[in-house]
Amino acid sequence: MEHAKSGPSSWPELADVVPVPHDDGPSPVVPIAYRDDFREVMDYFRALYVTGERSPRALRLTAEAIELNPGNYTVWHFRRLILEALDFDLLEEMKFVGKIAECNPKNYQIWHHKRWLAEKLGPDIANKEHEFTMKILAIDAKNYHAWSHRQWVLQALGGWETELEYCNQLLKEDVFNNSAWNQRYFVITRSPLLGGLTVVRDSEVDYTIEAILANPQNESPWRYLKGLYKGENNLLVDDERISGVCFKVLKNDWTCVFALSLLLDLLCTGLQLSDELKSTLEPIRSSHPETADADPATVVCCILQKCDPLRVNYWSWFKATLSQIS
Amino acid sequence: MQNFEGLHHVAFFDAIAMELPGEYASQEVNHLTLAYFAVGGLSLLRELDRINKDEITKWVLSFQVHPEANDDIDVGLFYGFCGSRSTQFPLPNVKDPCRNVSHLASTYSALAILKIIGYDLANIDFKTLLLSLKKLQQPDGSFMPTHIGAETDLRFVYCAAAICSMLDDWTGMDMLKAKEYILNCQSYDGGFGMVPGSESHGGGTFCAVAALHLMGFIQVDLASNIRDSSSINICMLLEWCLQRQVTNGGFQGRRNKPSDTCYAFWAQVLYYAVLTLRESGHKAVYAAVERPLQFAQTAAIMEILHGLVGLVRSPVSATLPQIGSRLFLTWGVLWSFPETQSHLLVTTLVISWSITEIIRYSFFGMKEAFGFVRTKTRVWG
Repeated sequence: MEHAKSGPSSWPELADVVPVPHDDGPSPVVPIAYRDDFREVMDYFRALYVTGERSPRALRLTAEAIELNPGNYTVWHFRRLILEALDFDLLEEMKFVGKIAECNPKNYQIWHHKRWLAEKLGPDIANKEHEFTMKILAIDAKNYHAWSHRQWVLQALGGWETELEYCNQLLKEDVFNNSAWNQRYFVITRSPLLGGLTVVRDSEVDYTIEAILANPQNESPWRYLKGLYKGENNLLVDDERISGVCFKVLKNDWTCVFALSLLLDLLCTGLQLSDELKSTLEPIRSSHPETADADPATVVCCILQKCDPLRVNYWSWFKATLSQIS
Repeated sequence: MQNFEGLHHVAFFDAIAMELPGEYASQEVNHLTLAYFAVGGLSLLRELDRINKDEITKWVLSFQVHPEANDDIDVGLFYGFCGSRSTQFPLPNVKDPCRNVSHLASTYSALAILKIIGYDLANIDFKTLLLSLKKLQQPDGSFMPTHIGAETDLRFVYCAAAICSMLDDWTGMDMLKAKEYILNCQSYDGGFGMVPGSESHGGGTFCAVAALHLMGFIQVDLASNIRDSSSINICMLLEWCLQRQVTNGGFQGRRNKPSDTCYAFWAQVLYYAVLTLRESGHKAVYAAVERPLQFAQTAAIMEILHGLVGLVRSPVSATLPQIGSRLFLTWGVLWSFPETQSHLLVTTLVISWSITEIIRYSFFGMKEAFGFVRTKTRVWG
């Protein structure tokens, strides 16, 4: 991005402007020892702001101020007023803010400015915005601002067609990326093209179980799986694939906290264990004599107390509430 | 054995209260919030007498925006507090109608400072503040932080609730609409995203639960009401919060991300949820880690001081708010509320801070020694 090699005091177009100095007011607390270039730019900005000037030189000055401090929302606001007054090419402005966003990908004001522009440019800009967030996410696949912007663009301007596929791609690259799992949930619940959660639930359960079996220590798909039946716990219990994946994982590793936790949820929601499944718990019972006559939910709590020591107090409390209910 | 170097921390806050280096220019719009950290920190270290309360009161109040004689309050301008001089244009000849850009977060910081130093908030024109606060509330219940347009998310719902709570006057917001927005932010996994549909996030979850609590929609010890489904899904919230503590003892802000000490603060939402767990014997754990914690906190201070004098490349503007807020929070709990020392949350908080700082310095050490650090491990996400 082109920027002035010297401060505004040397710009010919600002020769007639009298800079307005910064005034910290009475007895400032935590005053900042501003560098000279910062002070100079803000003094000139103040001068143009108070006169309400809407001109190309004012626009250039805001660019300078933004480069020094992209977090100043007053400068961004002034810039927007100028852009409107000059009927500036908003596609050019999108390019400008894009370059700044790449250097400051976690700055709220920049993303807000992009949203303001996108609102004005309409659905035609949707694809470009999705390309942009994809670029940011390629550097940091969990950038919260990028995801928020992407979700907003989808809902306001469209572009749902390839979003599920994008989630697939991100999860192939990193199946632990919880932002991608969240986006997947966003797509299957809100996309106008997929028919809604109940329509895709079946295939999503299969997809998620495959991810779980590949990496049972990855918490994301476990939570996603439960989320597929959000508000419909009876259906969660009735779907044999759910309890099935718990036991499949536990057969290999009975200390898998996520499998135990989901199993506990199912048992508390009324899952009745078949004799075959009960027998899966037997080896675990025998190595935990204190669970000899306990119901399956209590057995699971006991195991969790042992293999999830960071949360031992929680599982103890949970076990206690089980006996209160029964 | 290291002692907690309280005097170093006091000197640190004293120093920043006097002046911040030029690198802080990027934090200029958050000037009032930085002051809040300094004042809050000194207060928690029982050293508030070092500052001149009258001068600070005058300085903070000078940021308040008052309506002009012919201002129409219904137009929608917010009459709160500006966060800095660069967003405040008190000059009478300002043509721009948006000269007054007070902000919800600055207003929160201003009121918090005033409360800490004992100023009677009844003396400020809070009626106009609250009337105009309500105008910032959006149709979906969220809040815009300024009237010139900005992002709306849970942070500002929390700010609004905190402002009303400090002023003890809830005419500034439609609480039911705010609650509706918060509920819409609860994700499929029990945590709260910053906006509806967003990934569950430690900061968002804190803002949601704290705001609901301040508004009176949930009570302390909500774990005892865990089967109450009239508001948020408490069971899932509880599990989400608890699962955010990772093997190194620290708290992550989101699933499968690295732990960060700031999330030990946001996780204090657990305080409300797990009050019933206080009997489980945390005193021994706290006593065991007190020394490492104090050592780690001292090291954290040195990071700031080394950055200030240029010994390391750590950006002071980034580390100051982080470490300042950590000190504020830790000592706020430990010093102000000694009865919480045995609480599970404080115990896990101090453990996580110690261990997390050790990992952070290992990261910096590797970077300095080898020029790189391996990032493709699950610890670093």
